[in-house]
Amino acid sequence: MEEVLLKIEGISKHFGGVYAVNGINLDIGPGKIWGLVGPNGSGKSTLFNTVLGIHQPDEGNIYFNDRCITNLVPHQIYDLGLVYTFQVPRLFQALSVLDNMLVAGRGHKGDKLLFSLFFRKSWQRKEVELAEKAMETLKLLKLDHLALSPAGELSGGQRKLLELGKGLMASPTLLLLDEPAAGVNPNLGRSMFERIEDLCQKGLSFFIIEHRLELLFDFAHWVYVMDKGKIVLEGKPHEVAEDPSFFHVYLGDE
Amino acid sequence: MDPLVYILDFIVLVGIFSIFSLSLNIEFGFAGLANFGKVAFVLIGAYTYTLLSNINVPFYLCLIAGAIASAIIGFFVSLPTLKLREDYLAIVVLAFGEILKIIVKSEGWIAGGVWGTPVYPAISIAGSSTRLDMAINIALVYVCLFLSFLLLQLLTNSPYGRVMRAIREDEVAAEALGKNRTRYRAQVFALGSAIAGLGGGLYAQYLQFIDPYMFAPMLTFTIWIMVLLGGPANNWGALLGTGLVQLFDRGANIAKDYVTLPIDPSNLQYIIYGVLIILVLLYRPQGLLKESQVKTKAVESIFNGRGFAKNRRDQ
Amino acid sequence: MVNWAQVFVNSGITGSLYLIGAVGLTLTYGLSKFPNFAHAEFITLGAFFGYIVAEPLGLGLPPSLVVAFLATGLVGLFCYRVIFQPLSKKGATIIHLMVASIALGLVLRYSIGSIWGWEPLYFKTSWPSFDVGPVRMTGLWIWLVFVAITLSIIMHLILVHTKIGKAIRATNSNPELALASGINIDRVILATWFIGAGLAAVAGIFRAANTQIWPMTGWDIILPIFAVAILGGIGNFYGSIVAAFIIGLAENLGVVALMALGLSTSYRIAIAFIILILTLIIRPEGLSMLFRRS
Repeated sequence: MEEVLLKIEGISKHFGGVYAVNGINLDIGPGKIWGLVGPNGSGKSTLFNTVLGIHQPDEGNIYFNDRCITNLVPHQIYDLGLVYTFQVPRLFQALSVLDNMLVAGRGHKGDKLLFSLFFRKSWQRKEVELAEKAMETLKLLKLDHLALSPAGELSGGQRKLLELGKGLMASPTLLLLDEPAAGVNPNLGRSMFERIEDLCQKGLSFFIIEHRLELLFDFAHWVYVMDKGKIVLEGKPHEVAEDPSFFHVYLGDE
Repeated sequence: MDPLVYILDFIVLVGIFSIFSLSLNIEFGFAGLANFGKVAFVLIGAYTYTLLSNINVPFYLCLIAGAIASAIIGFFVSLPTLKLREDYLAIVVLAFGEILKIIVKSEGWIAGGVWGTPVYPAISIAGSSTRLDMAINIALVYVCLFLSFLLLQLLTNSPYGRVMRAIREDEVAAEALGKNRTRYRAQVFALGSAIAGLGGGLYAQYLQFIDPYMFAPMLTFTIWIMVLLGGPANNWGALLGTGLVQLFDRGANIAKDYVTLPIDPSNLQYIIYGVLIILVLLYRPQGLLKESQVKTKAVESIFNGRGFAKNRRDQ
Repeated sequence: MVNWAQVFVNSGITGSLYLIGAVGLTLTYGLSKFPNFAHAEFITLGAFFGYIVAEPLGLGLPPSLVVAFLATGLVGLFCYRVIFQPLSKKGATIIHLMVASIALGLVLRYSIGSIWGWEPLYFKTSWPSFDVGPVRMTGLWIWLVFVAITLSIIMHLILVHTKIGKAIRATNSNPELALASGINIDRVILATWFIGAGLAAVAGIFRAANTQIWPMTGWDIILPIFAVAILGGIGNFYGSIVAAFIIGLAENLGVVALMALGLSTSYRIAIAFIILILTLIIRPEGLSMLFRRS
C-alpha cells in the first residue's frame, strides 16, 4: 500500500454557478515529482488555492498526512508542512535575501511577542540554526553571495530561485510549485528542475503546475491532466504524451 | 521666562513627543499600520492618568493604567479593520479620535468636560523651585523614554520584528509562510497604543492640566511628521524627527516675535508642515534615516563572515 | 411630542447634503484607490468661493454654486496633477497617498484661515421659511433637495449615456480592461477629480449657508460623508445615493433618541461612526452588491 501524503477527494469549487473545479480525486505520494498540466482556465490554480485554504471547497475533502485540512486557513496549512510558492514571486522587497529566508522558518518560537522579548537565548540558538540552513540553501541555489542584499534588487531569475528557497526553509514534506519555470530562460528552467530532482531524492515531494511540458515531462514521475475542472488523463509522462486525447485537451475539441 | 527653564521645557517635551513618535513608528514604520488617530490613545492615557491621580493613586500605577487602558481600547477599535485594507483602519481610527473628543467634551463629569481639569504632577517636592520640578520631569520622562526605546529596539531586532516587517511588505506572502497577520497587527496596535497612553499620562502630569482641546487631530499629524521626516522603521529616526520638528516649532515661535510676516505665523507654520510632508513624500519617502535592518546575533555572525568561514572549511 | 413628519423631511435634507458631498469622494476613492482626506477642504473651499460670489458681488445662489463648482473643480484637478499623480507614478502606497491628502488638507485649511481668518462668516441672504402642514421648510432646503435630485439625474445620464461616463464606469470596475479597450484612463481620472471637487464645493455652500462659513466647514461633516462612501460601496455612485439617505434618516432618528435619553446632541456624529463600523464588520463592500454594473 503506497503511502499517500496529500489526498484530494471529490473536491469541487464553483464561482457564481460556474464550476472551476469539478469532482477532483487525486493522490500525491512522498518523494516524487507530480505534475499538473492543462490548458489555461482548466482549474489548476483554483485547485491549488483550494488545497491551500485560500478558497473553501464546496464539496469534498482534503487530507494531508491523514489529517483533514479542508477547512484550515493558509497559515495553519503551512505549519503542517504543506508549502506553496507563488508563480510571480512574492518577496519581501525591503528585507534582505537572508531575512526573506529566515521569515520562512517554521515553528520559530521567536515569532511570538513575549517569547521574543524575554527568552532571547532560546530563540537566538534557533536563529543560528535557521541562518545556517538558509545559507546552505542559498548556496545550493547559487544566491549566497546576495544574502545581505535587499530582495528588491534581485533579477527576475534570481527572484524565482529565492521564491523556491523560501519554500524549502520550512522543511516541508510536500511543496506545491506554481509554474516554477515560467518566464525564465531555458537553461535556468532546466537547472531549477535539476535542483528540484536533487531535493526530491532527499525525500521532498513536489506537486508542480507547469506549462513548459518539455521540462516537466523530463523530470516528473506522474502527471495529472486537467481540463474544464476535471482530471481527464493521468499516468507516467511518456504514457500521457503518447495518449491521443492529450492533444485534444490542449487544442480543444471542435 | 527664565531661559534655562525654557530649555528644560524643550527637553521635556522632546522626550514626551519622542515616546509618541516611537509608538507611531512601531505601528506605521515597522508594521505598516496607518494610525491616523494616534491622538485618541494619547487622550486615553492622559485622562486615565488624571482620573486615577485625582483619587490619589500612586503615579506609576496611573501611568501603567493609562498604558493598559489605551492598549485595550486600541485593540478593540482596530479589530474590525485588521483583515481589511490599510485605509479602512486609518478612517476608523481617525473617526474614533473625533468621537472620543466629543464624548470628553460633552460628559462634564469626566474630568471637567470643556473646562478641563488640573492634574497633579507625578513627583512633587514641597517648596521646590521650577527648575527642580523640571529636572524631576526630565528624569521621569527620559527613564520612560529609555525603557520604551529599549523595548522597541529589542522587539524590532528579533524574529518577531522580522515577521512584522514581512507582513508590512506583503501580507499574502507572509500568510502563505504561516504567519497570522491579524494576530501580529492586533498585537502591534495594542503595543503602540500602550506606549502612546504612557506618553499621554506623562504629558498630562507635566502640563498639570488637560482639556479636550489639547487632543486635536493636529497632534496626530505632528507625530506623523516626526516619524516621516526622521525615517519610518528606524527608532533613532523617530527620535531625530521629533527633535527637528520641535526645534522648528520653537524656532517659529521665537521668530514670531522678531519677524513680521504678511501671513499670521501660526497659520504659516501649519502650511509649511503640510508642504514639507508632501515634499518628503515626493522626494525622500524613506525619511532622513533609512530603515534599520533586523540585527540579531545570527544575522550579524553571517555578516561578519562566520557563515562563510564554515563553508570555506568544507572545501 | 415628536414631529415625525419634520424628522422625515429633515432626513431627506440631510441625506441630500451628504449625497452631494459624498459622490465626489466615493468616485475618486474608487478610482485612485485611496481616501482623499482633503475632500473636506474641497467642501470648505466651495463655501468660501461661494461666499466671495454671493457677498461682495451680491449675486445669488445659482451663480455661487456654479462658480464654486468650477473653481474648486480646478483646484481639485490641480491637486491631483501636482501631488497625487506624481506620487502614484513614484509607486507611493495607499498610506503615502492618504498622508499626502491630509497634508494637502492642512495646507488648504490654513491658507483659507490666513486669508479669511478663523472667525465664522455668514451668508447674508435670508431664506424665507414657511410651513407646509406640520413641517417647516426654508427656501434654502428646497434648493438643496432640488440640486441633489438634479445632480443625481445629471450624473446618471453622464454615467450611462456619455462616452466619458461609460469610461468612468469601465475604469472603475476593471482598469486593465478599460486600458486595453483604448480608454484614456488619464482623462477619466482628471474628469473624476474635477467633478468630485466641484460637487464637494456645492455641498460646502449648502452646509455653510445652513450653519456658518469657517475653515472647518468641511471637517464638520466629513465623517458622515465617509460613512456614506463606505456604506454605499466605494466607487459606487448609486450605492451612495441610497447610503446618503439611510445615514440622513439614521442621524435624524438618532437625534430624537438622544434627546429622549437626555444625551447631548453633539453625539449626532457618533451615529455615522457606528454605521461605519457596523458596515466594516458585517459587510465591508457596503451596498455595492445591490448595484453591480459593468
